[in-house]
Amino acid sequence: MITRGRRAAAREGRGLSAPGVIAVTGLGTFVGRRLVERLLARSPAPRVVGLDVRRPFRLDGRVAFHRVDLTEPTIDGRIAEILAQERVEALVHTAFRNEPTPDLETDHEVETIGSLHVMHACAEAKVRRLVVASSTMLYGPRPDNPNFLSEAHPLRGHPDAHCVANRAEMEGLLGEWSLRHPDTEVTVLRHAWIMGPNVWNRVVRYFSLPVVPMVLGYDPLLQFVQEEDCLHAFERATSEPHPGTYNVVGSGVVPLSTLLRLAGKRILPLPSPLLYRMAYYPSQTQTGDPPAAFYDYLRWLWVADGARGFDAFGEPVYTTKEAWISFVSSRRMRRYR
Amino acid sequence: MADEGEVAVQEEVDRALASLRREIAARFPPPRGAVEAPRLREEWVRLFDEVRRRLATLGMSERSGEVDEFGMDEVVVGSSRRLIDLLYERWFRVDLSGIDALPDRGPALLVANHSGLLPWDGLLLSHAVERFHRGHERPRFLVADWLITLPFVQPALARLGGVRACRENAERLLESGRFVIAFPEGVKGAAKVFRERYRVKRFGRGGVVRVALETGVPLVPVGIVGAEEAHPLLFKWTTPARLVGLPFVPVTPTFPLLGPAGALPLPSKWVIRIGDPLPIEHLGADDAADELLVSRLTEELRSQVQSLVDVALADRESVWG
Repeated sequence: MITRGRRAAAREGRGLSAPGVIAVTGLGTFVGRRLVERLLARSPAPRVVGLDVRRPFRLDGRVAFHRVDLTEPTIDGRIAEILAQERVEALVHTAFRNEPTPDLETDHEVETIGSLHVMHACAEAKVRRLVVASSTMLYGPRPDNPNFLSEAHPLRGHPDAHCVANRAEMEGLLGEWSLRHPDTEVTVLRHAWIMGPNVWNRVVRYFSLPVVPMVLGYDPLLQFVQEEDCLHAFERATSEPHPGTYNVVGSGVVPLSTLLRLAGKRILPLPSPLLYRMAYYPSQTQTGDPPAAFYDYLRWLWVADGARGFDAFGEPVYTTKEAWISFVSSRRMRRYR
Repeated sequence: MADEGEVAVQEEVDRALASLRREIAARFPPPRGAVEAPRLREEWVRLFDEVRRRLATLGMSERSGEVDEFGMDEVVVGSSRRLIDLLYERWFRVDLSGIDALPDRGPALLVANHSGLLPWDGLLLSHAVERFHRGHERPRFLVADWLITLPFVQPALARLGGVRACRENAERLLESGRFVIAFPEGVKGAAKVFRERYRVKRFGRGGVVRVALETGVPLVPVGIVGAEEAHPLLFKWTTPARLVGLPFVPVTPTFPLLGPAGALPLPSKWVIRIGDPLPIEHLGADDAADELLVSRLTEELRSQVQSLVDVALADRESVWG
């Protein structure tokens, strides 16, 4: 019911230049798959072209699917062919890792070099609009961050988080590329950690632990974006002209300890050297990153200023706390006292 | 007749019994514990229940869970108010004047001298403005990096209204129309050794003036005397500091000696003097780019703060007075 109101608002507004054919890369990612579902549900549904290594689950038949592996050397020509043949007007690039893998090299191939291939293909096929999914994690958790990071803040990332470094490199390449191709509108959406009933990733896995470890003595302010708000921003960025970089975040911040108490979680505060050492071996088998790359995000501030995104895509419906509660109540984690 | 006689006998017996009771009571006082033991046990049980309840709802009862965008928690501020009031009235016996020089409402940038290791001056000044200023608005105070990134200190200060000192934060706070307290001396102020007390150091690189010019807010100088003696820093001990990653380990008459109790401030007498705002109304945001003007204004502000400190020193009879 919220989405209906929003969609009406979008139609009245600047939604006129809605592209007829939209390509989405990375149908397996949360944002990619859910965005396609939302686009297909619009009343004059656009034609959606899907690009991924795997045939998408549940989207079969509704999406013109092309199998594309971004790690192949000459894939840019092949993507350009597909885009030209389908007459794609807008491309949404979401083919990024949900979470880091131990295979650092492939991650880099997919995220940085793969994105470069997509950019080259867009230039070749003269795609009018390019929307790229990025993350506020790229700003990096730093003790010397201001409380609210604007879009102009340098992307310092985290020295150990290779996934974040790949994306920051990608954004640098994208900046250069967009200078050389002024005809394509480039929109970069840096979203905060997505919370909601349907997300499942490393962050959610951490918050779903029965006993949640915290860095002793630190209690950072965290910021989430609810999945519907995030997808709404992506949908509007796809169908309306919004060139530039935007932070896509929920309003308000909540301390980590308050979040965990709201969920009725047991908290295990551990001194940082002990926590990092304890988490080292389990995390090596899963992510390839040392645990500091994740736990530093639960130690220092990296809250982004969403004002620019609110102006462009409208105020988010969920605050950070409400986004958290929507996640908690969906998992029945709440324990009443 | 018989009735009267009986009554008289009865009265006689009663009187005798009463005097006997008094004598017994006087000679053998009842053991105190026998009467108070059950009450004491009840209190212990109540205390135990209270502790158990507090442990079960650890943190939640005294925190609202709602924080503002910089992490200040109204409930924590409210519950700390009594303690800070006690510090203000009884411990430091703060003598405050010039509060009327502040504008009726924010935004305004209060610029004070910084001393003492812990941010008592920021806490007490924001408390004073909240309590005695006509707007009853709580200013936010800016805290230097080295302090606000320490474990345990970081969450506590954020809940009490401390904000990391940087340009973006100051601008955002001022744009939302709040009073902001800045200590431009920074680490140099906090790390002032005792023989350098009452001497206001260089004010950073003019960031305070630039922020005030860009946001167009009044600059109010404030002189605080007394924080120096609350934690008199005898010298800075650098050898063990490298192990814990601090710039230095402070050595005060109480600190490494008494352990954590050394964090308790000495009960010095405090004097706070708030001066008139700097006359910068005629200057605009463009003047912030004028480096010579900014450095001149910065020095003017510093000398104003220094003269307020001197006035406060003259007004104070003695360190403990």
